[in-house]
Amino acid sequence: MISGHLAHRTWLHAVPARLKLIGLAALTCISFWIDDPRLLGLGFAIVLVNYLCLGREARGRLKLLSSLVPIFAVIGLFQFWSVGGEAAAAILLRLCLMILLADLVSMTTPMLDMMDAIEPLLRPLSIFGLDAMRLSVAVALVIRFVPALMEEWMRRNEAWRARTGRRASVRLLPAFLGGVVTLADRVAEALDARGFGRGRKL
Amino acid sequence: MTPAASASIVIDRVSLRRGSRLVFADLSVSFCERRVGLLGDNGAGKSSFLRLINGLLLPDSGEVRVDGLVTAQARRDLPRKVGFVFQNPDHQIVFPTVLEEIAFGFRECGLRRDDANDRARDVLRRFGCYDWIDAAVHELSEGQKQRLCILAIVSMEPDILVLDEPFSSLDLPTRLDLMDLLMSLPQRLVIASHELELLSLMDRVIWLSGGAIVGDGAADQIISSYRETARNARKHTAVAQ
Ligand SMILES: Nc1ncnc2c1ncn2[C@@H]1O[C@H](COP(=O)(O)OP(=O)(O)O)[C@@H](O)[C@H]1O
Ligand SMILES: [Mg+2]
Repeated sequence: MISGHLAHRTWLHAVPARLKLIGLAALTCISFWIDDPRLLGLGFAIVLVNYLCLGREARGRLKLLSSLVPIFAVIGLFQFWSVGGEAAAAILLRLCLMILLADLVSMTTPMLDMMDAIEPLLRPLSIFGLDAMRLSVAVALVIRFVPALMEEWMRRNEAWRARTGRRASVRLLPAFLGGVVTLADRVAEALDARGFGRGRKL
Repeated sequence: MTPAASASIVIDRVSLRRGSRLVFADLSVSFCERRVGLLGDNGAGKSSFLRLINGLLLPDSGEVRVDGLVTAQARRDLPRKVGFVFQNPDHQIVFPTVLEEIAFGFRECGLRRDDANDRARDVLRRFGCYDWIDAAVHELSEGQKQRLCILAIVSMEPDILVLDEPFSSLDLPTRLDLMDLLMSLPQRLVIASHELELLSLMDRVIWLSGGAIVGDGAADQIISSYRETARNARKHTAVAQ
């Protein structure tokens, strides 16, 4: 799984991993508590401005988000039916906000740093016999999956466009989900080959 | 334990099912040469064979023994003994930056963060890749990624290095370069490849077809009969058309 890490250093690289993770967690919680789409829109705009300020490579990643539009359209439509326009807008904005925030963190934080930041928080779980080191890899991987999945979608999108000349379609969704499973499988195998977690429980 | 048993890979009456497909049925072979090549068409079972050696796959029946260790019982110790380099670097690399990818192995061995990073820097320096230290993995070329994969595994100092078609998407200069790297390593090698030039450097070549061994012996001999068979197969399709 090779994906987004901003090679060129930005101010976000300098922020300690723990601070970024706490920020991510806090903002995610807050976004669930806010129902007003205008406020969420404001938050979304602030994050967008941040992307724009982080340089060309980061701006390029916004294209990934735009390629997700068909998926958002389906979710939006479904929500519109079931809970109405305002709530649907709130849900979509919250989703975009969370994707972008997670992407920002994972793009600017080495994964080992992320694991180091997470591990102490998980250490209390060892009373249940869980291994904090192993769990921290799992959590860091989840965060890293966000940009990886966006890129996976983008790749399929491109292949589809190259062959049909049309915009991405929801029809790509089943193949994409299959791809996600494959990706997860491969990462698991790569870790397994290197002895990670063999003969031990998580 | 006799020396032969302690430094050998033994596939003993192995059957392996993957999905609905029986990949190996009662396969037996053993080898103790320093460098062994695996040859065969796509789907012949090369990757499955290699995965058995590292314990990524366990046989449904029969036994695989690596230097006396039975893979089904020693899964936990195997990765330290048998390093596995995947066919596609994108499938092997887990971390976003070069240093982490190598440091991870040392962290797994229980080293503290700074020590692990120091060791990783050492490895990069020793193999002439110190410039990449701060690079993001996606900035590397295919050849550089493959080299990183090999270093990440070699840095753990396994006894045996298993490589699955290591050069499949590389240009000629890069292949020659990596070939030199592989031949300079102290590790015993088991390599699946379509690269006949690389296979010709092996002490022994095993030819798989449809999950069975159809040729086994000195590199030159096996390679030339493989070439012959491939050519004949083409003639048949040409006639059929
Ligand atoms: N993950 C899998 N699930 C089911 N069947 C598989 C899987 N991987 C490989 N196979 C099957 O096992 C056989 C051997 O494949 P493989 O070991 O990958 O061969 P090679 O590496 O020589 O191309 C093939 O018939 C292939 O279709
Ligand atoms: Mg293969």
